[in-house]
Amino acid sequence: MSSSRLCWPTPNGLPALGPSVIMAACVLLLVISASAVELDLVRLFTAIPRMFEFASHLLVMPDWEYLPTLGVNMLQTIEMTFLATSIALVISLPLGVMAAANASPHPAVFHATRNLLTLMRALPELVWALVFVSAVGLGPLPGVMALSFVTVGFMGKFFAESIEVVDARQIEGVAAHGASWLQLRTFGIFPQVFPDFVGTVMYILDHNLRAAAILGLVGAGGIGYDLVMAMRMFDYDRLLPIALSIYVVVTVLDRLSDRFRRRLI
Amino acid sequence: MTAFEAVRPPLPKKPFNPTPVWLSGWLALLWVIVHDLELSFETLAYGAQDIVEYFSRYSTPDFSDLSRYVELLMQTLATAVWGSALAFVVAVLLSPLASRNLTPNATVYRIARETLNFMRAMPDLLLALIFVASLGLGPLPGALALGIHTAGFLGKFFSESLERVDAGVYEAVSATGASRLQVVMYAGWPSILREALGYTLYIFDRNVRMAAVLGLVGAGGIGLALHDTLRMFNYNESAALIIVILVTILIIDYLSTWLRGKLN
Repeated sequence: MSSSRLCWPTPNGLPALGPSVIMAACVLLLVISASAVELDLVRLFTAIPRMFEFASHLLVMPDWEYLPTLGVNMLQTIEMTFLATSIALVISLPLGVMAAANASPHPAVFHATRNLLTLMRALPELVWALVFVSAVGLGPLPGVMALSFVTVGFMGKFFAESIEVVDARQIEGVAAHGASWLQLRTFGIFPQVFPDFVGTVMYILDHNLRAAAILGLVGAGGIGYDLVMAMRMFDYDRLLPIALSIYVVVTVLDRLSDRFRRRLI
Repeated sequence: MTAFEAVRPPLPKKPFNPTPVWLSGWLALLWVIVHDLELSFETLAYGAQDIVEYFSRYSTPDFSDLSRYVELLMQTLATAVWGSALAFVVAVLLSPLASRNLTPNATVYRIARETLNFMRAMPDLLLALIFVASLGLGPLPGALALGIHTAGFLGKFFSESLERVDAGVYEAVSATGASRLQVVMYAGWPSILREALGYTLYIFDRNVRMAAVLGLVGAGGIGLALHDTLRMFNYNESAALIIVILVTILIIDYLSTWLRGKLN
């Protein structure tokens, strides 16, 4: 309906009405919220020298003796990511089937699962990590729990969405052979959604690695704890290696998953 | 019978099914990880009762301080709005340079790409820590951190969309003698307007979630309040805060889903 009004040029040469109103509303929203973020250009500009000063602190010889510990903690972060993604994958496969309109056993199950998944992914990992840390104590366990919990919410939703767009004729073809309920899903739906699923898992793995790198902030294991400690203690000789290692690991996984996805899809 | 079988052509060899190998490798890896992280799911199972007891402490949310929570929430939302706006501006400026078919030359393309990659790779909480150190406490460093981190995502999405636009559209506009900037403005952005708005909404959605936890590093908002109440074992207030955050995120989630549906 709005396809003609959303694009320019317009017949009369004036800016289109709809976009102008939306843009004005956005600017207004920004102006109103400016005071809430304590936006202060003077403060922003006076902070620039301090930012450079901070950056110059980073350029010190790294603490070489710390590097093995860094490696161990980074490995822990990667392991947490992998474990949490695997747990979430196992849980969200059945949930994804139940939350897809065309594969769910019953409409009631479909709506219940949908809402459950929405609730699970509503709060960020760090909030759950805070809660789980105070429930089961410090360490990687609450981190893995929080990560898998939130990830199930996302993965289940993505799985359900890919299941919902499969070709119904292929399912019918399998059904015509007298396939049972489970066989229908395994041989009718699953082969069609497999590439999508792999893409989703790679995306989630990527997301979880970033999340796991900061979960340590609340004591839920991984490299984040070292990061905060280095920050609080002004251990600049550790800060740069930590930040660099996060950057390298995230980038490597990013490139790997890009390549893997392109090969598969 | 045997003679009949003899004339039957030999069946091709059954192809090797690698699934069990992958599956067992995967399980072995998980086992090693569980071992290495020293996770014990047994204690978790034995402690189930304690955990149930622990969560029952959240059962009586205390909304007596609601007006303060709402104020903090507004600050959180403002942080997300400004972060998304910053990300949008940076992404709009950088993404034409980072898309293969609109970039002026290969060097600019590489630089823009790597800048976006770098912004994406730095976790926003780490950026927030750095900005808090140089700007002082408050929501402003949070908004900056969100903006820089998500500009990396938004720029990548935008440039991928710009690369997917049919080459004929660009050719048609440049055939009229349009400059590079005019090609971007009159062929690039109008073609991907819907997609771009959808991505921006998605990023805003994400930024609201993140803004809710940025308070942990002193970057303002409701996250710090939650952290404090949990530290002080004020579970009733924590429960109220969690509910406030949850409701807000759900509302924003539904709103942006609805808006995105409208856009398509």
